[in-house]
Amino acid sequence: MNPSELPVRPSTAVPGAPGAGSEVTLRDVEQVERALIDASTRLPVLFFYGSAIVWLLLGTLLAGFTSFKLHAPDLLANVSFLTWGRIRPAHVNVMIYGWGAMAGIGTAIWLMARLCRTTLRHPLLLIGGGAFWNLGVVLGVGGILAGDSTGYEWLEFPPYAAIVLFVAYSLVVSWAMLMFRFRRGDYVYITQWYLLAAFLWFPWVYGTTQIMLFVVPLQGVMQEAVTWWFANNLLFLWFGAIGLGTAYYMIPKVIGRPVYSYHLAAVGFWTYALFASWTGMQRIVDGPFPAWMITASIAATILTIIPVATVGLNHHMTMRGYFGLLRYSPTLRFTVFGAIAYTVFSLVGVLLSLRSVAGYVHFTVAGVAYSHMGLYAFFTMVMFGSMYYIVPRLVGREWRYASLIKLHFWSSTYGVGLMVLMLLVGGLSQGASMHDPSLAFSESTQSILPYLRGRSVSGLLLTVAHFVFAFHFGLMLFGLGRTASLPTFLNPQEEEALEARL
Amino acid sequence: MKGIAPLFLGIVGTFVFSWAGLILIPNYQIGHLEPQVDEDGNDPYPAPKSGMADRGRRIYVANGCVYCHSQQVRADYAASDLERTRDLDPKKPKWGERRSAPRDYLFEHPILLGKMRLGPDLANIGKSAPVEGESAAPAVNTAGPATTQPSPASNPTPGASPVAASPGVAAVAASPKPAANSAAVVGITATGNGAEAPYSAAWHHRHLYNPRSLVLDSNMPSYRFLYQKRRISGERAADALRFDEPNAVPEGWEVVPTYDAKNLVAYLMSLDQSHALKEVKTSGAPASAPVAPPAPASGSPAPTKEAK
Repeated sequence: MNPSELPVRPSTAVPGAPGAGSEVTLRDVEQVERALIDASTRLPVLFFYGSAIVWLLLGTLLAGFTSFKLHAPDLLANVSFLTWGRIRPAHVNVMIYGWGAMAGIGTAIWLMARLCRTTLRHPLLLIGGGAFWNLGVVLGVGGILAGDSTGYEWLEFPPYAAIVLFVAYSLVVSWAMLMFRFRRGDYVYITQWYLLAAFLWFPWVYGTTQIMLFVVPLQGVMQEAVTWWFANNLLFLWFGAIGLGTAYYMIPKVIGRPVYSYHLAAVGFWTYALFASWTGMQRIVDGPFPAWMITASIAATILTIIPVATVGLNHHMTMRGYFGLLRYSPTLRFTVFGAIAYTVFSLVGVLLSLRSVAGYVHFTVAGVAYSHMGLYAFFTMVMFGSMYYIVPRLVGREWRYASLIKLHFWSSTYGVGLMVLMLLVGGLSQGASMHDPSLAFSESTQSILPYLRGRSVSGLLLTVAHFVFAFHFGLMLFGLGRTASLPTFLNPQEEEALEARL
Repeated sequence: MKGIAPLFLGIVGTFVFSWAGLILIPNYQIGHLEPQVDEDGNDPYPAPKSGMADRGRRIYVANGCVYCHSQQVRADYAASDLERTRDLDPKKPKWGERRSAPRDYLFEHPILLGKMRLGPDLANIGKSAPVEGESAAPAVNTAGPATTQPSPASNPTPGASPVAASPGVAAVAASPKPAANSAAVVGITATGNGAEAPYSAAWHHRHLYNPRSLVLDSNMPSYRFLYQKRRISGERAADALRFDEPNAVPEGWEVVPTYDAKNLVAYLMSLDQSHALKEVKTSGAPASAPVAPPAPASGSPAPTKEAK
């Protein structure tokens, strides 16, 4: 449990620091070792990243379409596979299973190899898993557009696509487990807890849900409970765990000092696992369910303040004195934004779950805001950060244009900020109108139209961000990055001052 | 952290704990319900949907209706669902007479409770339809004194033909004064020239085909791909849609619902949670004094809908 054991760069190993002479050889060995490990993960991770980014672009286009149709309902409404009710689940599932899962798996594989200090054996089989996963998403999205949706939120992929996904996932997860099995060193770093948990939780949650919905379907309203149990566990125990694990690696790594408190991290992890997995039923508040289920989930949601506070405190104390680095490091900027967004997302989640508030925001677009805070402002931003860190190490080139990274960051930040603001405020206004029986129902849908238009504007910003990032990633993929010894900093004119620090 | 066993056990444990708490125990509690029957073992509720309604659910799912329409009425202490009437029109039926209960969804697969309301709740949309010919008993939704004449336009849809004949319905459709008032205020219009009775099968067809021809400020997409526009060969089809002047189809053409559209409307017409349940209080119309129509029928508490 000694923090100095952590596999982050010890602050004493700064080159040129006095007394570092004896460590140079050790550092050299470590660097060669890391380079070998990175090289072994190169093809599969790039394959997962590349697929993820293609899905991200497709999902972005679908999202824009979804958003515009809400205030222009006759837009291309005469084509069955472009009707709003099919485009929307297509967007959601592309983002979850295409972008989110594939980006997360890519990052998780790389982190696992690095932290287990073991090379990835037979990387091509992992590519097979990735190809299968892509096939599953293609089948699923095609099924939704063709009218084959199952009708369960976040689980719309028809069973034939779900089976392909499951097989693909089994391939991937067994590789991750093998790496873990052959890890070197007898400590398991915080990031590995989260990744190991995520790798195990996903198949259990996904598998049991599929069984309870399609193989031996539960009766009536229990299906809805299963759906929300699944959605929340997917959000927290899969995306959340990967996002938090990645942040626990990237923040200490980039600033070059160990995590502030190992014990705090342990408290945060276990309370997270315990409480976050019990949330979900607050989303069916006042529905035809026993009230205790919903109350239990509300209580669990409130209790997630504990892991949120510990994780936030830990990151903050790690960062203390180093916030200036946010000016330079793209990875740090995206990751810290994501980490802060995680705190905000969780606190908003607590607020929205309270019965008095939920009475207003239930059945409104505020739920969409909540999902985007979790999946975009937190998870996606952390993934972007990790990609900015990992991709140069895989292709041996640095990012070409600092300006493009900045454009990506600011469009994403303003885009998601505007979206969340619009949907939260719009949701409250919609809910207030819906709550008042003396107002016509259409009053509530009319009252959110301006907000929905604002959301479409935010979608344009996000579209710019994603296409810029995809273009930049494409340059890296085709070897058009910079060959330089220093990473691409966001403010290069000051990089000399920084060189002394890093 | 040293030792992998506690980590692994903890990961398994939290998963099982949450599954047992949120799925297993609730399933024990509400996962094995039986339909409710009366003292003689008759009148079971709910009953599985059959035939077209069941196929219609597939269309409902395939086209994502659930993303905008919920099918649940919340309790009166939590929300105003029970006080809400359709289109703010006191003459029109309420969203529900009682809250939804687990038993209402016994045979639903997939379940379509919904999580967002960009359109009104549909839990009782079938019940909102004008009363069928055979159940002549005055239900809550028909306005009492039918003063206006039946609409001159006869309804061509065969399934709903008794509907258009009901005078009570025409009273709703042909815009009595209060309804017209509220329509002006909130920008809603009922049927322009009083053709289809609201929420009848013919109304649903026209609404699906062109929502804004019936509800001016609707944001529902049209579902024209569920309809077929074709040249009239010989006789005009009995189930062809009727249109007002600005939306009319060209001379010699007609729009007819496909099989999918008919199933979907059959499904919508089957949505009805008005049957009283022992475990849920049926509100009747005591609290809704301001919106209660002056009809004598609504005065009696809990008109328990044997009509169904």
